[in-house]
Amino acid sequence: MGSNDGDKSAMNRSSNHRTSHGIRDRGVKHVIQRPWLRWVPAVAVPAVIAGGVLAGTLPARAGDPLPEKTPAEVIALLASHKTHTFSGTIEQTSELGLPELPAAPPTSGPASADGVASLLEFLTGGHTARVFFDGPGKARIQVVDRLAERDIIRNNKDVWFYSSKDNSAAHLTLPDFARDLPLTDPGQTVPGQPDPSRAGPPALGPGGTGKTPVPHTPGELAEKFLAMADSTTAITVGPEVETAGRRAYNLLLEPRTERTLMGQVAVAVDAETGLPLSVKVTARGAAGPAFSAGFSSLSLETPDEALFDFAPPPGSTVEELQSSHPATKPPVSGLPGSPGTYITPDRLAKDVRGSARQYLSGSGWETVLEVPAQSGAGSSLDTLLTRSPLLAQAAVVVPGGRLISTSLLNVLLTDDGRIFAGMVPPERLQAASTAP
Amino acid sequence: MPSSASSESAGFTRTTAAAATRRGPGLSLLASELRVLFGRRRTWALLLALAAIPVLIAVAVRISSAVPAGRGPAFLDRITQNGLFVAFTAMLVSVPLFLPLTVGVVAGDTIAGEANLGTLRYLLVAPTGRVRLLLVKYAAALAFCLAAPLTVGLAGAAIGAALFPVGPVTLLSGDVIEPPQAFLRILLIAAYLAISLAGLSAVGLFLSTLTVVPVGAMAATVVVSVVSQVLDQLPQLEWLHPWLFSHYWLGFGDLLRQPVLWDSLVHNAWLQAGYVAVFGALAYGRFVTKDVLS
Repeated sequence: MGSNDGDKSAMNRSSNHRTSHGIRDRGVKHVIQRPWLRWVPAVAVPAVIAGGVLAGTLPARAGDPLPEKTPAEVIALLASHKTHTFSGTIEQTSELGLPELPAAPPTSGPASADGVASLLEFLTGGHTARVFFDGPGKARIQVVDRLAERDIIRNNKDVWFYSSKDNSAAHLTLPDFARDLPLTDPGQTVPGQPDPSRAGPPALGPGGTGKTPVPHTPGELAEKFLAMADSTTAITVGPEVETAGRRAYNLLLEPRTERTLMGQVAVAVDAETGLPLSVKVTARGAAGPAFSAGFSSLSLETPDEALFDFAPPPGSTVEELQSSHPATKPPVSGLPGSPGTYITPDRLAKDVRGSARQYLSGSGWETVLEVPAQSGAGSSLDTLLTRSPLLAQAAVVVPGGRLISTSLLNVLLTDDGRIFAGMVPPERLQAASTAP
Repeated sequence: MPSSASSESAGFTRTTAAAATRRGPGLSLLASELRVLFGRRRTWALLLALAAIPVLIAVAVRISSAVPAGRGPAFLDRITQNGLFVAFTAMLVSVPLFLPLTVGVVAGDTIAGEANLGTLRYLLVAPTGRVRLLLVKYAAALAFCLAAPLTVGLAGAAIGAALFPVGPVTLLSGDVIEPPQAFLRILLIAAYLAISLAGLSAVGLFLSTLTVVPVGAMAATVVVSVVSQVLDQLPQLEWLHPWLFSHYWLGFGDLLRQPVLWDSLVHNAWLQAGYVAVFGALAYGRFVTKDVLS
């Protein structure tokens, strides 16, 4: 076959030659006839794959369009949904413009890692959680990490927290009156691995110890944003979308003012059940959402009963938590509820809750929050900055203080220890800080 | 090379065997290929080296003090309580380097090894057909892809059971399963890893058709797997990550949840199928147009 080397290159040079050779040299025809044909699969296969991928990204065209609904009707549909039994997967992504953190290695170091780091991880990365709900009393949320998992299991009065990383569990018995509260109150994250050294109730306070940032269900987020929608918000219904394989109305909330960073909140409302399927928050002028949380798969069937039975595995450390779950929702701070609010450490947030309500200026989406220096919040944010080099890197020095800027939220830490925060451009924060 | 003579004679045997069943679906060729692959001393050395990983881990944990929770590779701290975790730890540890290394050796050797020994032309003189030879070679490489993680898992379970107590296994979700079910999950993870390595094998097969120096193809295959894993670590290339064949390698942890999360297995299978198709087509294009001189 080696002797055909010359023949082959000759054939490559001219098609006339190839034909004459093919007739003359039948013996080797089956091997080297038209060698370029043999490369067709190598070109065709990637082309087919690329075509398939492109086709997959195109929105699937459903048959009949959904019946038209006014924004008020969609909100009514959303408010009336009675779906408390479902299971699915929630994907959450945040691209707020904070510095990217290195992906947590599968074998993370000490479990007592700085809570700030995981708070930031929550703000910069993507998270996946599997959720199982069976009525209002039974729920299980599994935060899926690489080779690790953090679980919250609620079976009526019993709430279990479990973290596979250090094989630790915590148990909380809810008081009777708190039974019907949602598992994770809007605006709160529940720590799965409570810090024993912390005196306060571990199940409370935004951020908590920051070890188990629970991704919010789209329902919680939708409720939160709709609560903020007032006369300064234009509510429309966009073209229908498909989320988790279900057709949904796309409720769009847009601030009427241009003096806020908030561009648009899109809530996908399941056309059939009214269940919120996804929430996407887009900053003004941005192409993609800065924050999104939504179902990637959803089933309305009743989850397996055994999922809600949890017993701490052998060898795990179990901690009994004191329940001090409030009977009512904690007062919502005046700060527009964006996921960016979690940037504040829990102490700061508590201070904000307690003392800052009278220091609000602006209204609606333009609200600027001022935390006075004497609250001590400034120094705790300062401590946070010095402890977390990554966050310190994100804070830039501006006239009058330091600024932590994200695409949705700006926080200004003035030199005299006051804090200004809001979903507004930095200039407005600076103006507010210099205002008498 | 001590095995060269036996391999060459095996090549001749294969030639006659294939000639005898020229209309057969190449099953006898595959059978003889598997016999040659698993009859080689080198293959056994690779598998023994893989089996040594769980043994080393188990012995190290046994003679050292207790591992504090959360330190070292995942599952390492559970070994003293439950020997079956040796299997999980060993499979986790072997994923980034040892498995790709051994698979790279086998896959890089497929065509280039025969060419280097001078047996490739004899294989092709018989009416085997280049396509069939390529398929058989790839199937044998896949068999090794299954054998390698299986060796790690089974050796891990065996040494774990020998040195430590065996009991109910705590999954990542905190739920507990009985040892027989845990053993099933070990087999499931081995299957997951076999699928994970299919793409790398296809890359190795293609590289093997490019050269007559098997060591070159082996090294190139291993380098490709390392490069893929390095790229997977760079956050700047996030758009590329889902397309890297090593992206889901550590996703086998999803099989240790309750209920089992099949997403990464499905994604992984599609991704590997894509790699097999692309590099299989490239290998086909190269091999059937190649001038076989040795």
